[in-house]
Amino acid sequence: MRIVYPLLVVMLFVWLPARAIEPLAVITATANPLDTLSFDDLKLIYLRKSQMDSEGNRWIPLSLPVTDPIRRNFSLTLFSMLPEEQQDYWNIQYFNGITPPKVMASEEAVLRFVSSTTGSIGYIRKQKVDNRVKVLLLITPSADK
Amino acid sequence: MRFSTLFNLFVIALSIAISAEAAEDTDSAYRLGSGYAVNKTGLRIGGYANALIGAPRAAPWHFEVTDLSLFLTWDNGSRLRFFSELEAGDVLRAGEHQSLETQNAHFEFERFYIDGLVNNNLTVRLGKFLTPIGQWNLIHAAPLVWTTSRPVATENSFSTHASGLMLHGSALFANRQLEYSVYGDVTNSIDPHRSKEPFDNAVGGQLRYLLSDTLQIGASFANFTLTNLQSSRYYLSGLDAMWSYQKFELSSEIIYRTSDHANIKNTWQGFAQSVIPLFSQRWFVVGRYEFFDQSQDTTGQVGVLGLAYRPLPPIVWKLEYRMGTHNEILAPDGLSASFAILF
Repeated sequence: MRIVYPLLVVMLFVWLPARAIEPLAVITATANPLDTLSFDDLKLIYLRKSQMDSEGNRWIPLSLPVTDPIRRNFSLTLFSMLPEEQQDYWNIQYFNGITPPKVMASEEAVLRFVSSTTGSIGYIRKQKVDNRVKVLLLITPSADK
Repeated sequence: MRFSTLFNLFVIALSIAISAEAAEDTDSAYRLGSGYAVNKTGLRIGGYANALIGAPRAAPWHFEVTDLSLFLTWDNGSRLRFFSELEAGDVLRAGEHQSLETQNAHFEFERFYIDGLVNNNLTVRLGKFLTPIGQWNLIHAAPLVWTTSRPVATENSFSTHASGLMLHGSALFANRQLEYSVYGDVTNSIDPHRSKEPFDNAVGGQLRYLLSDTLQIGASFANFTLTNLQSSRYYLSGLDAMWSYQKFELSSEIIYRTSDHANIKNTWQGFAQSVIPLFSQRWFVVGRYEFFDQSQDTTGQVGVLGLAYRPLPPIVWKLEYRMGTHNEILAPDGLSASFAILF
């Protein structure tokens, strides 16, 4: 019994989903003159309400696939909603000719696009950031619903 | 028949024009409810369709494919973007005393405009657009609304489209977004197709304040003459509000219209609607109360009770019953059902 209880605790930590999720880095090209971004401004960019950066370039926000846990954490943190819960909003935007953020297949695809495309902005795990991009904002995702 | 053949040929031509590419991004694929993005051209094609059956209490039943709309958007990331909505109206119709017919089908441009983005606070729009009065008129497409029937207050007292120039955008006010639009309609020469009851000339505007992520309020005004009644100038003001949380929704609009013609009655019209999700948030109960002053009758009132089923976000089945008083002309009693899809 003295062994069982600690063993159970260890199993819980190993098998249950980690409640502490690693930070996400909001990234843009190193040549972008912008060095920081507020959380509220990020939200407007990803709602396609803010269309241009301070240089007059069109923002190209990037996202990951709907089923990607990183995307889901990002969506919960920014909007307090899962991606599928925003579908009504994007249906209305589609009716007005506005599309959701471009969906990239992977974090590496986000890195390649952001580093080579003016005005693009994306999010990846902080540990994936390299010298191709710079970090505008670090956000700590909310736990999954 | 001719329309469907043309559409098929158009789709085939597009497919040939598209080249395969490594799938780093997934936006080139077609997605239901998001249209078809033509590889790196900035073009996107999509639309929506709606079919309904109506069984008014005091009139024969009828079936219609009322909307078959094609969206064509162009946005290549520059400061300019283009949008058009080409609608095939009266595509198919049948009824109790009418066999299935298509000869009344016709095409019309519901919207047709160019947006020039000046900065994050200002966009200039030129062309034909939806009149920014209330909320319903700006999102009236069948897949986006909860009922087959449309509230009287959202289309009876003003032209649902304007052709001209609009300035619109948003700004921060007390730490929340304030959206605005101001427009002028002074000519029909840029209206590719004359709308029903079009403006002869009009100026107006709308403010929308996002109090929170779940609550927004709006105010609208318009000063206009109608092409069919050019001797009278109308003055319209309106308020609207919407609260939504986890698929629950409460919305309301009210308008007041006066005129400088002594024989034209001042009218109040409005509605309040609630939407309540049921099991698995795919089924919804919808209830709506409307009132509307009428030029030739006393104030009409109706209640609408309906069900909506969304198996997928871009698809909705609707069933509702409407009944009221002094409503025979503008919103008659009866049952209606429809199917709408955003594609």
